Amino acid sequence: MAQYFGTAVEDIFNTMEERFLPEGTVDVDVTIGYNISGEGGGHWKVTIKEGTLKTEDMDGEVTDCTAVLNANAETFVGVTLGKIDAGEAFSSGSIKVDGDLTVLIAVLPKAFRPFKPVVKASSIVESVEERFRPEKAEGVDIKIGYDLSGDGGGQWTVVVKDQTCALKDVLDDDCTVVMRMEAQVFVDLNQGKLDGATAFTSGQVKIDGDIGAAGKSSSLFEKYVAEGAVEEQGEELISLKCVPSINQRYATGPLMGTWFNGLKEKKFYAAKCPECGRTLVPPREICAQCRVRCNELVEVGPDAMVTLIDVVYYASPDPLTGKIRETPYTALFMVLDGASRDESFAHDLNPRDIDRIKPGMKVRPVWSEKRTGSYKDLLYFEIAD
Amino acid sequence: MEISYENTKNCKVMTGKMALPNQYFAGRVGSKFIIALRDENKILGVRCEKCDKVFVPPREYCEKCLSKLDESWVELSNEGVVMNYTVVNYNDKHLPRRAPYILALIKVDGADTPFPHIVEGIDVGDVKVGMKVKAVFAGETTNTIRDLDHFEPV
Repeated sequence: MAQYFGTAVEDIFNTMEERFLPEGTVDVDVTIGYNISGEGGGHWKVTIKEGTLKTEDMDGEVTDCTAVLNANAETFVGVTLGKIDAGEAFSSGSIKVDGDLTVLIAVLPKAFRPFKPVVKASSIVESVEERFRPEKAEGVDIKIGYDLSGDGGGQWTVVVKDQTCALKDVLDDDCTVVMRMEAQVFVDLNQGKLDGATAFTSGQVKIDGDIGAAGKSSSLFEKYVAEGAVEEQGEELISLKCVPSINQRYATGPLMGTWFNGLKEKKFYAAKCPECGRTLVPPREICAQCRVRCNELVEVGPDAMVTLIDVVYYASPDPLTGKIRETPYTALFMVLDGASRDESFAHDLNPRDIDRIKPGMKVRPVWSEKRTGSYKDLLYFEIAD
Repeated sequence: MEISYENTKNCKVMTGKMALPNQYFAGRVGSKFIIALRDENKILGVRCEKCDKVFVPPREYCEKCLSKLDESWVELSNEGVVMNYTVVNYNDKHLPRRAPYILALIKVDGADTPFPHIVEGIDVGDVKVGMKVKAVFAGETTNTIRDLDHFEPV
């Protein structure tokens, strides 16, 4: 297949559907013919009508369209990629348009996302020697294996030694590290569409051998820039990742201390406000409504009535471990038996009950076997059948 | 059950560690500020022409009139004045220095907003509001505001 600027004429038509923007063509009703001469050329008819697209590969010269574009293959690809100036191509006559020229100018930019050349994994690997940075490879002696599966895949070994780099199109047995992935994942990584750490932790990339070497290897090569793509010199932006670990110290005070020791005995204590009489669960030293000190504790529960249910499908990290807990889970708001109606207490629900739980249901606590007077003593609540 | 607040029978202290996986994006404006500290040892701010106010660290919008400020960069002096300070007297591993150290609000010359930073090279008892200080830049970059390592008395 003949290629110009790394792209075949066919690629441009074959990607039209994925580049099509229906919202940009709501009031449009046109047909555009393409007669592309030269090697790799052909005839295509594109119909855009009220947000729909039809691309036909035609047997012969296309006529009878709102506009017909005639060009040779190299000019057509060059103009599409922005490598050849469209204005010049028109004025020099290397592109000729029959019919309504304004259709091309007004409709096409709104109907399609710009064409970007299809990058193949092999072209990235094969450019590795050109992209090698000897100055970064002092004292480096590694063999990096690539085992790329799927469409466009293959096996290669990159040998870095004595500040030189050589590519072999076999996978050697004695590689320092072998990276295995789908060819498309490899392309996405090299184009910055996928983050290396994400690809690895999500299992899209498997690394055999020295993981450290895999991490360091990226600094040995310049970034891959696709042929035909305009290299964008983006401004540097700073993004930092860190996991601060902060020491926590919580002094219970007398009321919360009694609450925790109560959990050890499978009991819930509420503070009772001497002014308004409402119960506070867990107990607080001061009633925030009456602003008076609560010294009286009353036992409530242990069963409760559900008032509100939050089912969480997207968990934020557990602040104590940094782990993302399993979803879905449920935060249950409930009134413990004997507590004031408007003072709900929140805790977890047994995940097995998620599908059945409803407001108004009775629930009961499930306790840990070994209780020490900590928040871990209470595991979760479950439906009391 | 009556529990007076003097009753410490059930009192206890619970300790734990809180790990917070974080990703911080400095943004276009914040990145430019940090890069100038790192590569040129310069403190940049942005000016709101309408309010005649210079913000350091720079922010994208004026807090008063909401004008967009990301084009109106000004280079500021590396010297400034201590507007206020506190002495940090406890140690924790996320803190930038061993206690005791001075955390001051410093307004660099040409800026209208102070920002907090460390003051070194002086006994913690001798720091004064109004004291002239100058920036000392870090040898190694962390890509943070700590590429400006600390301020010291002029």
